[in-house]
Amino acid sequence: MKLAGVGRRYGLRKHWVLRGVDLSLPERSLVRVQGVNGSGKSTLLRLIAGIDAPSAGRISGRPPSAYVPERFPAAMPLTALGYLTHMGRVHGLRRDAAAGEAREWLERFGADAYARTPLAELSKGSSQKVVVAQALLARPRLLVLDEAWTGLDQNARTVLDRSVAERVAEGGTVVFVDHDPARLAGSPDVTYRVEGAAVREVAEHVPPGHGGVPATGPRVRIEAEGPPGVALPPELPGSPRTEQTSDGATVLTAPAPYSDALLRGLLAGHWHIRSVAVEEIPR
Amino acid sequence: MKALLAYQTELLVRSQRWLPPLLLYVAFLGLGIQSGGPLLDALGYAAAALLPVTAWLVRICVGGEAAAARHCTAAAAGPWRVHLASVLTALLAACVLGAVATLYAVAVSDPHSSEGHVGVPVPQAAGAGLLAVIACALLGTAVGALCNRPVLSSTGLAVPSGMLAALLVLVAGGSPANAAVSGLVTGSHTGTVIMPWVPAVLSLAVAAAATAFACRQASRRS
Repeated sequence: MKLAGVGRRYGLRKHWVLRGVDLSLPERSLVRVQGVNGSGKSTLLRLIAGIDAPSAGRISGRPPSAYVPERFPAAMPLTALGYLTHMGRVHGLRRDAAAGEAREWLERFGADAYARTPLAELSKGSSQKVVVAQALLARPRLLVLDEAWTGLDQNARTVLDRSVAERVAEGGTVVFVDHDPARLAGSPDVTYRVEGAAVREVAEHVPPGHGGVPATGPRVRIEAEGPPGVALPPELPGSPRTEQTSDGATVLTAPAPYSDALLRGLLAGHWHIRSVAVEEIPR
Repeated sequence: MKALLAYQTELLVRSQRWLPPLLLYVAFLGLGIQSGGPLLDALGYAAAALLPVTAWLVRICVGGEAAAARHCTAAAAGPWRVHLASVLTALLAACVLGAVATLYAVAVSDPHSSEGHVGVPVPQAAGAGLLAVIACALLGTAVGALCNRPVLSSTGLAVPSGMLAALLVLVAGGSPANAAVSGLVTGSHTGTVIMPWVPAVLSLAVAAAATAFACRQASRRS
Protein backbone atom coordinates (compact mmCIF):
# COMPACT_ATOMS: atom_id res chain seq x y z
CA MET A 1 0.00 0.00 0.00
CA LYS A 2 1.32 3.43 -0.98
CA LEU A 3 0.60 7.07 -0.16
CA ALA A 4 1.87 9.45 -2.85
CA GLY A 5 1.95 13.20 -2.24
CA VAL A 6 -0.96 12.88 0.17
CA GLY A 7 -2.31 16.02 1.83
CA ARG A 8 -5.35 16.70 3.96
CA ARG A 9 -7.05 19.89 5.02
CA TYR A 10 -10.53 20.32 6.43
CA GLY A 11 -11.74 23.11 4.14
CA LEU A 12 -10.35 25.09 1.23
CA ARG A 13 -9.19 28.03 3.33
CA LYS A 14 -7.97 25.94 6.24
CA HIS A 15 -4.33 25.04 6.86
CA TRP A 16 -2.93 21.72 5.74
CA VAL A 17 -2.95 19.16 8.54
CA LEU A 18 -0.75 16.94 6.41
CA ARG A 19 1.01 17.80 3.19
CA GLY A 20 3.17 15.97 0.66
CA VAL A 21 3.18 12.66 2.53
CA ASP A 22 4.89 9.82 0.67
CA LEU A 23 4.73 6.54 2.50
CA SER A 24 5.04 2.93 1.59
CA LEU A 25 3.41 0.45 3.95
CA PRO A 26 4.66 -2.99 2.95
CA GLU A 27 3.06 -6.29 3.83
CA ARG A 28 4.33 -8.13 6.89
CA SER A 29 5.26 -4.95 8.75
CA LEU A 30 4.54 -3.21 12.02
CA VAL A 31 4.54 0.56 11.71
CA ARG A 32 4.56 2.99 14.62
CA VAL A 33 3.40 6.59 14.19
CA GLN A 34 4.51 9.21 16.70
CA GLY A 35 3.88 12.90 17.19
CA VAL A 36 2.67 15.39 19.76
CA ASN A 37 -1.06 15.96 20.38
CA GLY A 38 -2.74 17.67 17.46
CA SER A 39 0.14 16.97 15.07
CA GLY A 40 -2.07 15.06 12.64
CA LYS A 41 -1.39 11.48 13.74
CA SER A 42 -5.08 10.60 13.86
CA THR A 43 -5.68 12.26 10.49
CA LEU A 44 -2.87 10.17 8.99
CA LEU A 45 -4.34 7.01 10.51
CA ARG A 46 -7.83 7.81 9.20
CA LEU A 47 -6.39 8.39 5.72
CA ILE A 48 -4.54 5.07 5.88
CA ALA A 49 -7.69 3.26 7.08
CA GLY A 50 -9.69 4.77 4.23
CA ILE A 51 -12.16 6.55 6.50
CA ASP A 52 -11.02 9.91 5.19
CA ALA A 53 -10.16 10.81 1.60
CA PRO A 54 -7.01 12.85 0.94
CA SER A 55 -7.49 16.44 -0.30
CA ALA A 56 -4.39 16.01 -2.46
CA GLY A 57 -2.34 13.09 -3.74
CA ARG A 58 -3.45 9.50 -3.87
CA ILE A 59 -3.52 6.32 -1.83
CA SER A 60 -3.30 3.02 -3.69
CA GLY A 61 -3.36 -0.67 -2.92
CA ARG A 62 -5.29 -0.59 0.34
CA PRO A 63 -6.11 -4.15 1.43
CA PRO A 64 -9.24 -5.04 3.48
CA SER A 65 -8.88 -2.87 6.56
CA ALA A 66 -9.99 -2.57 10.16
CA TYR A 67 -9.76 0.42 12.46
CA VAL A 68 -9.84 0.91 16.22
CA PRO A 69 -10.53 4.39 17.60
CA GLU A 70 -9.24 5.57 20.96
CA ARG A 71 -12.71 5.79 22.46
CA PHE A 72 -15.84 3.90 21.54
CA PRO A 73 -18.77 5.65 23.20
CA ALA A 74 -21.24 3.80 21.02
CA ALA A 75 -24.70 4.34 22.43
CA MET A 76 -26.23 1.99 19.87
CA PRO A 77 -29.21 -0.28 20.49
CA LEU A 78 -27.29 -3.52 19.90
CA THR A 79 -25.76 -6.06 22.26
CA ALA A 80 -21.99 -6.59 22.21
CA LEU A 81 -22.44 -9.94 20.47
CA GLY A 82 -25.01 -8.54 18.02
CA TYR A 83 -22.73 -5.66 17.08
CA LEU A 84 -19.71 -7.93 16.63
CA THR A 85 -21.68 -10.39 14.50
CA HIS A 86 -22.86 -7.56 12.25
CA MET A 87 -19.33 -6.19 11.99
CA GLY A 88 -17.99 -9.65 11.17
CA ARG A 89 -20.40 -9.78 8.25
CA VAL A 90 -19.47 -6.24 7.18
CA HIS A 91 -15.83 -7.41 7.22
CA GLY A 92 -16.86 -10.16 4.80
CA LEU A 93 -17.38 -13.20 7.03
CA ARG A 94 -20.37 -15.51 6.58
CA ARG A 95 -23.10 -15.24 9.16
CA ASP A 96 -22.20 -18.35 11.21
CA ALA A 97 -18.48 -17.62 11.00
CA ALA A 98 -19.11 -14.04 12.14
CA ALA A 99 -21.12 -15.18 15.16
CA GLY A 100 -18.48 -17.80 16.05
CA GLU A 101 -15.57 -15.36 15.80
CA ALA A 102 -17.51 -12.75 17.78
CA ARG A 103 -18.02 -15.18 20.68
CA GLU A 104 -14.42 -16.36 20.52
CA TRP A 105 -12.94 -12.85 20.63
CA LEU A 106 -15.18 -11.76 23.50
CA GLU A 107 -13.92 -14.80 25.37
CA ARG A 108 -10.30 -14.06 24.54
CA PHE A 109 -10.69 -10.56 25.99
CA GLY A 110 -12.47 -11.92 29.06
CA ALA A 111 -15.65 -10.10 28.07
CA ASP A 112 -17.91 -13.07 27.33
CA ALA A 113 -20.03 -12.16 30.36
CA TYR A 114 -21.04 -8.99 28.48
CA ALA A 115 -22.07 -10.73 25.24
CA ARG A 116 -25.75 -9.98 25.82
CA THR A 117 -25.21 -6.54 27.35
CA PRO A 118 -26.36 -3.58 25.26
CA LEU A 119 -23.41 -1.48 24.02
CA ALA A 120 -24.77 1.59 25.78
CA GLU A 121 -24.47 -0.12 29.18
CA LEU A 122 -20.86 -1.27 28.80
CA SER A 123 -18.06 0.31 30.85
CA LYS A 124 -15.34 2.24 28.99
CA GLY A 125 -12.93 -0.68 29.20
CA SER A 126 -15.49 -3.25 28.05
CA SER A 127 -16.61 -1.18 25.08
CA GLN A 128 -12.95 -0.74 24.11
CA LYS A 129 -12.62 -4.55 24.14
CA VAL A 130 -15.64 -4.78 21.84
CA VAL A 131 -14.20 -2.32 19.33
CA VAL A 132 -10.81 -4.06 19.38
CA ALA A 133 -12.54 -7.43 18.84
CA GLN A 134 -14.46 -5.87 15.94
CA ALA A 135 -11.17 -5.06 14.23
CA LEU A 136 -9.49 -8.41 14.85
CA LEU A 137 -12.26 -10.91 14.19
CA ALA A 138 -11.94 -10.93 10.41
CA ARG A 139 -8.10 -11.10 10.37
CA PRO A 140 -7.72 -7.89 8.32
CA ARG A 141 -4.70 -7.41 6.04
CA LEU A 142 -4.43 -3.84 7.30
CA LEU A 143 -5.02 -3.01 10.95
CA VAL A 144 -5.02 0.62 12.05
CA LEU A 145 -4.91 1.26 15.82
CA ASP A 146 -5.38 4.78 17.15
CA GLU A 147 -4.40 4.44 20.83
CA ALA A 148 -6.39 1.22 20.89
CA TRP A 149 -4.81 0.12 24.20
CA THR A 150 -6.31 3.04 26.14
CA GLY A 151 -8.77 1.77 28.74
CA LEU A 152 -7.95 -1.94 28.28
CA ASP A 153 -6.99 -4.04 31.30
CA GLN A 154 -3.62 -5.81 31.48
CA ASN A 155 -4.90 -9.12 30.06
CA ALA A 156 -6.60 -7.42 27.13
CA ARG A 157 -3.46 -5.36 26.39
CA THR A 158 -1.38 -8.52 26.21
CA VAL A 159 -3.97 -10.18 23.97
CA LEU A 160 -3.89 -7.14 21.68
CA ASP A 161 -0.05 -7.09 21.63
CA ARG A 162 0.01 -10.74 20.56
CA SER A 163 -2.78 -10.26 18.05
CA VAL A 164 -0.81 -7.43 16.46
CA ALA A 165 2.21 -9.74 16.20
CA GLU A 166 -0.01 -12.46 14.72
CA ARG A 167 -1.43 -10.09 12.08
CA VAL A 168 2.12 -9.15 11.03
CA ALA A 169 3.28 -12.78 11.12
CA GLU A 170 0.42 -13.70 8.78
CA GLY A 171 1.60 -11.12 6.27
CA GLY A 172 -0.52 -8.17 7.31
CA THR A 173 0.33 -4.54 7.94
CA VAL A 174 -0.34 -2.98 11.34
CA VAL A 175 -0.12 0.79 11.84
CA PHE A 176 -0.43 2.09 15.40
CA VAL A 177 -0.26 5.18 17.55
CA ASP A 178 0.12 4.92 21.31
CA HIS A 179 1.06 7.45 23.94
CA ASP A 180 3.10 4.86 25.85
CA PRO A 181 6.59 4.82 24.30
CA ALA A 182 7.13 1.29 25.64
CA ARG A 183 4.14 -0.08 23.69
CA LEU A 184 5.37 -2.98 21.54
CA ALA A 185 8.89 -1.67 22.16
CA GLY A 186 11.46 -3.22 19.90
CA SER A 187 8.81 -4.72 17.63
CA PRO A 188 8.06 -1.97 15.04
CA ASP A 189 9.82 -2.42 11.73
CA VAL A 190 9.66 1.31 11.12
CA THR A 191 8.65 4.37 13.13
CA TYR A 192 7.35 7.57 11.58
CA ARG A 193 6.99 10.95 13.22
CA VAL A 194 4.30 13.46 12.24
CA GLU A 195 5.58 17.00 12.66
CA GLY A 196 4.75 20.28 10.94
CA ALA A 197 2.28 18.64 8.53
CA ALA A 198 5.04 16.31 7.29
CA VAL A 199 5.86 12.70 8.04
CA ARG A 200 9.45 11.57 8.41
CA GLU A 201 11.02 8.28 9.34
CA VAL A 202 12.59 8.08 12.80
CA ALA A 203 16.09 6.60 12.67
CA GLU A 204 16.28 2.99 13.71
CA HIS A 205 17.82 1.91 17.01
CA VAL A 206 17.43 5.15 18.89
CA PRO A 207 19.39 4.81 22.12
CA PRO A 208 17.11 4.12 25.08
CA GLY A 209 15.68 7.29 26.52
CA HIS A 210 16.15 9.28 23.31
CA GLY A 211 13.44 10.32 20.90
CA GLY A 212 10.87 8.49 23.00
CA VAL A 213 11.43 5.16 21.24
CA PRO A 214 12.97 2.47 23.38
CA ALA A 215 15.12 0.39 21.05
CA THR A 216 14.15 -2.79 22.82
CA GLY A 217 11.47 -4.16 25.03
CA PRO A 218 10.97 -7.58 26.57
CA ARG A 219 12.30 -10.27 24.27
CA VAL A 220 11.71 -13.98 23.96
CA ARG A 221 14.68 -16.30 23.70
CA ILE A 222 13.99 -19.64 22.04
CA GLU A 223 16.52 -22.43 21.86
CA ALA A 224 15.59 -24.73 19.00
CA GLU A 225 17.06 -27.61 17.10
CA GLY A 226 16.33 -28.28 13.43
CA PRO A 227 16.20 -31.53 11.52
CA PRO A 228 19.73 -32.41 10.32
CA GLY A 229 20.85 -30.24 7.41
CA VAL A 230 17.67 -28.15 7.36
CA ALA A 231 17.95 -24.37 7.40
CA LEU A 232 15.65 -22.11 9.45
CA PRO A 233 12.22 -21.56 7.88
CA PRO A 234 12.30 -18.31 5.88
CA GLU A 235 10.47 -15.14 7.01
CA LEU A 236 10.06 -16.16 10.64
CA PRO A 237 7.71 -13.88 12.60
CA GLY A 238 9.41 -11.10 14.51
CA SER A 239 12.59 -11.21 12.36
CA PRO A 240 14.50 -13.05 15.13
CA ARG A 241 18.21 -12.59 15.70
CA THR A 242 19.85 -16.02 15.49
CA GLU A 243 22.98 -17.52 17.04
CA GLN A 244 24.44 -21.02 16.85
CA THR A 245 25.42 -22.76 20.03
CA SER A 246 28.36 -25.14 20.23
CA ASP A 247 26.07 -28.17 20.63
CA GLY A 248 24.23 -27.60 17.36
CA ALA A 249 21.20 -25.71 18.61
CA THR A 250 20.01 -22.34 17.35
CA VAL A 251 19.08 -19.52 19.71
CA LEU A 252 16.47 -17.12 18.35
CA THR A 253 15.71 -13.79 20.01
CA ALA A 254 12.67 -11.73 19.02
CA PRO A 255 10.31 -9.15 20.58
CA ALA A 256 8.15 -10.90 23.20
CA PRO A 257 4.75 -10.29 21.50
CA TYR A 258 5.99 -12.45 18.64
CA SER A 259 6.73 -15.47 20.87
CA ASP A 260 3.61 -17.49 19.98
CA ALA A 261 3.85 -16.71 16.28
CA LEU A 262 7.57 -17.50 16.21
CA LEU A 263 7.07 -20.82 18.01
CA ARG A 264 4.29 -21.72 15.60
CA GLY A 265 6.60 -20.92 12.67
CA LEU A 266 9.37 -23.11 14.06
CA LEU A 267 7.07 -26.02 14.89
CA ALA A 268 5.52 -25.84 11.44
CA GLY A 269 9.02 -26.28 10.01
CA HIS A 270 9.44 -29.42 12.19
CA TRP A 271 11.93 -27.76 14.51
CA HIS A 272 12.33 -29.06 18.02
CA ILE A 273 12.01 -26.52 20.84
CA ARG A 274 14.52 -26.99 23.65
CA SER A 275 13.64 -24.02 25.82
CA VAL A 276 11.72 -20.78 25.87
CA ALA A 277 12.55 -17.85 28.15
CA VAL A 278 11.63 -14.20 28.34
CA GLU A 279 14.46 -11.68 28.66
CA GLU A 280 13.56 -8.38 30.27
CA ILE A 281 16.02 -5.80 28.98
CA PRO A 282 16.35 -2.76 31.22
CA ARG A 283 15.40 0.45 29.45
CA MET B 1 -23.82 -4.24 0.93
CA LYS B 2 -26.24 -6.91 2.21
CA ALA B 3 -24.38 -7.03 5.52
CA LEU B 4 -24.45 -3.24 5.81
CA LEU B 5 -28.18 -3.13 5.04
CA ALA B 6 -28.88 -5.79 7.68
CA TYR B 7 -26.80 -3.83 10.20
CA GLN B 8 -28.45 -0.48 9.40
CA THR B 9 -31.93 -2.03 9.44
CA GLU B 10 -31.38 -3.55 12.86
CA LEU B 11 -30.01 -0.23 14.13
CA LEU B 12 -33.10 1.56 12.81
CA VAL B 13 -35.62 -0.97 14.11
CA ARG B 14 -34.06 -1.30 17.56
CA SER B 15 -33.48 2.44 18.01
CA GLN B 16 -37.27 3.03 18.04
CA ARG B 17 -36.49 6.41 16.51
CA TRP B 18 -38.78 5.44 13.62
CA LEU B 19 -41.74 5.89 15.94
CA PRO B 20 -42.17 9.71 15.62
CA PRO B 21 -42.13 9.76 11.79
CA LEU B 22 -44.45 6.72 11.77
CA LEU B 23 -46.90 8.49 14.09
CA LEU B 24 -46.68 11.62 11.94
CA TYR B 25 -47.53 9.58 8.85
CA VAL B 26 -50.40 7.82 10.60
CA ALA B 27 -51.73 11.23 11.71
CA PHE B 28 -51.42 12.56 8.12
CA LEU B 29 -53.33 9.56 6.80
CA GLY B 30 -55.95 9.74 9.54
CA LEU B 31 -56.63 13.38 8.69
CA GLY B 32 -56.44 13.10 4.92
CA ILE B 33 -58.06 9.78 4.06
CA GLN B 34 -61.72 9.48 4.85
CA SER B 35 -63.54 6.21 4.74
CA GLY B 36 -65.61 6.12 1.54
CA GLY B 37 -63.75 9.08 -0.03
CA PRO B 38 -62.60 9.05 -3.66
CA LEU B 39 -59.81 6.44 -4.12
CA LEU B 40 -57.44 8.48 -6.30
CA ASP B 41 -57.51 11.45 -3.90
CA ALA B 42 -56.63 9.12 -1.03
CA LEU B 43 -53.76 7.57 -2.99
CA GLY B 44 -52.40 11.03 -3.87
CA TYR B 45 -52.58 12.02 -0.23
CA ALA B 46 -50.79 8.87 0.95
CA ALA B 47 -47.96 9.54 -1.53
CA ALA B 48 -47.59 13.25 -0.77
CA ALA B 49 -47.46 12.74 2.99
CA LEU B 50 -44.73 10.14 2.57
CA LEU B 51 -42.22 12.67 1.21
CA PRO B 52 -41.40 14.58 4.44
CA VAL B 53 -41.65 11.32 6.40
CA THR B 54 -38.99 9.76 4.14
CA ALA B 55 -36.71 12.77 4.58
CA TRP B 56 -37.04 12.31 8.35
CA LEU B 57 -36.27 8.58 8.11
CA VAL B 58 -33.11 9.39 6.14
CA ARG B 59 -32.08 11.78 8.90
CA ILE B 60 -32.55 9.01 11.47
CA CYS B 61 -30.64 6.43 9.44
CA VAL B 62 -27.61 8.54 8.51
CA GLY B 63 -27.22 9.44 12.18
CA GLY B 64 -27.94 5.96 13.51
CA GLU B 65 -24.32 5.04 14.10
CA ALA B 66 -22.13 6.78 16.65
CA ALA B 67 -19.18 8.55 14.98
CA ALA B 68 -16.59 6.12 16.38
CA ALA B 69 -18.62 3.13 15.18
CA ARG B 70 -19.07 4.76 11.77
CA HIS B 71 -15.29 5.07 11.44
CA CYS B 72 -14.91 1.34 12.10
CA THR B 73 -17.56 0.43 9.53
CA ALA B 74 -16.05 2.89 7.03
CA ALA B 75 -12.62 1.26 7.37
CA ALA B 76 -14.17 -2.15 6.73
CA ALA B 77 -16.49 -1.30 3.84
CA GLY B 78 -15.58 2.18 2.58
CA PRO B 79 -17.28 5.40 3.75
CA TRP B 80 -19.48 5.83 0.68
CA ARG B 81 -20.85 2.30 0.91
CA VAL B 82 -21.67 2.83 4.58
CA HIS B 83 -23.50 6.03 3.74
CA LEU B 84 -25.31 4.47 0.79
CA ALA B 85 -26.50 1.62 3.02
CA SER B 86 -27.96 4.03 5.58
CA VAL B 87 -29.78 6.04 2.88
CA LEU B 88 -31.10 2.87 1.22
CA THR B 89 -32.34 1.56 4.57
CA ALA B 90 -34.42 4.70 5.00
CA LEU B 91 -35.74 4.43 1.42
CA LEU B 92 -36.74 0.80 1.93
CA ALA B 93 -38.47 1.60 5.21
CA ALA B 94 -40.35 4.45 3.49
CA CYS B 95 -41.41 2.14 0.65
CA VAL B 96 -42.81 -0.34 3.16
CA LEU B 97 -44.77 2.46 4.87
CA GLY B 98 -46.00 3.72 1.49
CA ALA B 99 -47.11 0.27 0.37
CA VAL B 100 -49.06 -0.29 3.59
CA ALA B 101 -50.64 3.17 3.22
CA THR B 102 -51.63 2.37 -0.38
CA LEU B 103 -53.30 -0.85 0.76
CA TYR B 104 -55.10 1.09 3.47
CA ALA B 105 -56.29 3.70 0.96
CA VAL B 106 -57.56 0.99 -1.38
CA ALA B 107 -59.32 -0.76 1.49
CA VAL B 108 -61.20 2.21 2.92
CA SER B 109 -61.80 4.43 -0.14
CA ASP B 110 -64.57 4.35 -2.67
CA PRO B 111 -63.32 3.48 -6.19
CA HIS B 112 -65.22 6.33 -7.86
CA SER B 113 -64.32 9.75 -9.24
CA SER B 114 -64.71 12.79 -7.01
CA GLU B 115 -67.17 14.47 -9.40
CA GLY B 116 -70.03 12.54 -10.94
CA HIS B 117 -69.98 8.83 -10.29
CA VAL B 118 -67.44 7.36 -12.72
CA GLY B 119 -65.96 4.04 -11.61
CA VAL B 120 -62.19 3.83 -11.13
CA PRO B 121 -60.45 0.51 -11.96
CA VAL B 122 -58.93 -0.55 -8.62
CA PRO B 123 -55.82 -2.50 -9.85
CA GLN B 124 -54.72 0.35 -12.14
CA ALA B 125 -55.43 2.91 -9.42
CA ALA B 126 -53.42 0.92 -6.89
CA GLY B 127 -50.56 0.64 -9.41
CA ALA B 128 -50.58 4.38 -10.04
CA GLY B 129 -50.72 4.96 -6.28
CA LEU B 130 -47.68 2.74 -5.71
CA LEU B 131 -45.73 4.53 -8.44
CA ALA B 132 -46.58 7.88 -6.87
CA VAL B 133 -45.52 6.52 -3.46
CA ILE B 134 -42.20 5.43 -4.95
CA ALA B 135 -41.70 8.82 -6.64
CA CYS B 136 -42.37 10.63 -3.36
CA ALA B 137 -40.17 8.26 -1.33
CA LEU B 138 -37.34 8.80 -3.83
CA LEU B 139 -37.63 12.57 -3.68
CA GLY B 140 -37.88 12.45 0.11
CA THR B 141 -34.66 10.42 0.03
CA ALA B 142 -33.02 13.07 -2.15
CA VAL B 143 -34.08 15.81 0.28
CA GLY B 144 -32.89 13.75 3.25
CA ALA B 145 -29.55 12.95 1.61
CA LEU B 146 -28.83 16.60 0.76
CA CYS B 147 -30.10 18.16 4.00
CA ASN B 148 -28.25 15.97 6.50
CA ARG B 149 -24.80 14.71 7.44
CA PRO B 150 -22.32 14.74 5.73
CA VAL B 151 -23.61 17.53 3.43
CA LEU B 152 -25.19 19.62 6.21
CA SER B 153 -23.83 18.54 9.56
CA SER B 154 -25.24 21.17 11.92
CA THR B 155 -28.69 20.28 13.27
CA GLY B 156 -29.68 23.95 13.29
CA LEU B 157 -29.17 24.06 9.54
CA ALA B 158 -30.19 20.52 8.61
CA VAL B 159 -33.66 20.36 10.19
CA PRO B 160 -35.16 23.66 8.92
CA SER B 161 -33.62 23.26 5.47
CA GLY B 162 -34.89 19.69 5.27
CA MET B 163 -38.41 20.73 6.21
CA LEU B 164 -38.36 23.65 3.78
CA ALA B 165 -36.95 21.51 0.97
CA ALA B 166 -39.57 18.79 1.52
CA LEU B 167 -42.35 21.38 1.37
CA LEU B 168 -40.91 23.03 -1.74
CA VAL B 169 -40.50 19.71 -3.54
CA LEU B 170 -44.16 18.92 -2.82
CA VAL B 171 -45.63 22.23 -4.01
CA ALA B 172 -43.20 23.41 -6.73
CA GLY B 173 -44.72 23.14 -10.20
CA GLY B 174 -41.87 21.35 -11.95
CA SER B 175 -41.26 18.77 -9.24
CA PRO B 176 -41.87 15.11 -10.15
CA ALA B 177 -43.49 14.52 -6.73
CA ASN B 178 -45.94 17.32 -7.41
CA ALA B 179 -46.58 15.93 -10.91
CA ALA B 180 -47.23 12.40 -9.59
CA VAL B 181 -49.58 13.56 -6.84
CA SER B 182 -51.48 16.10 -8.93
CA GLY B 183 -51.80 13.51 -11.71
CA LEU B 184 -53.72 11.31 -9.27
CA VAL B 185 -55.78 14.18 -7.85
CA THR B 186 -56.79 15.71 -11.21
CA GLY B 187 -57.50 12.25 -12.58
CA SER B 188 -59.82 11.79 -9.64
CA HIS B 189 -62.17 14.50 -10.98
CA THR B 190 -63.03 12.48 -14.04
CA GLY B 191 -62.12 9.02 -12.80
CA THR B 192 -59.15 8.57 -15.14
CA VAL B 193 -56.03 6.80 -13.86
CA ILE B 194 -52.78 8.40 -15.02
CA MET B 195 -49.73 6.20 -14.47
CA PRO B 196 -46.96 8.50 -13.16
CA TRP B 197 -44.16 6.75 -15.06
CA VAL B 198 -42.31 9.91 -16.02
CA PRO B 199 -42.36 11.42 -12.50
CA ALA B 200 -41.15 8.09 -11.06
CA VAL B 201 -38.22 7.88 -13.49
CA LEU B 202 -37.31 11.55 -12.91
CA SER B 203 -37.46 11.04 -9.14
CA LEU B 204 -35.18 8.05 -9.44
CA ALA B 205 -32.63 10.15 -11.35
CA VAL B 206 -32.82 12.98 -8.80
CA ALA B 207 -32.52 10.59 -5.84
CA ALA B 208 -29.57 8.78 -7.43
CA ALA B 209 -27.74 12.05 -8.10
CA ALA B 210 -28.40 13.45 -4.62
CA THR B 211 -27.38 10.21 -2.90
CA ALA B 212 -24.25 9.90 -5.03
CA PHE B 213 -23.27 13.44 -4.05
CA ALA B 214 -23.86 12.73 -0.33
CA CYS B 215 -21.92 9.45 -0.51
CA ARG B 216 -18.99 11.23 -2.15
CA GLN B 217 -18.96 13.70 0.72
CA ALA B 218 -18.92 10.88 3.28
CA SER B 219 -15.14 10.49 3.09
CA ARG B 220 -14.47 14.21 2.72
CA ARG B 221 -16.15 15.60 5.81
CA SER B 222 -15.90 13.35 8.79
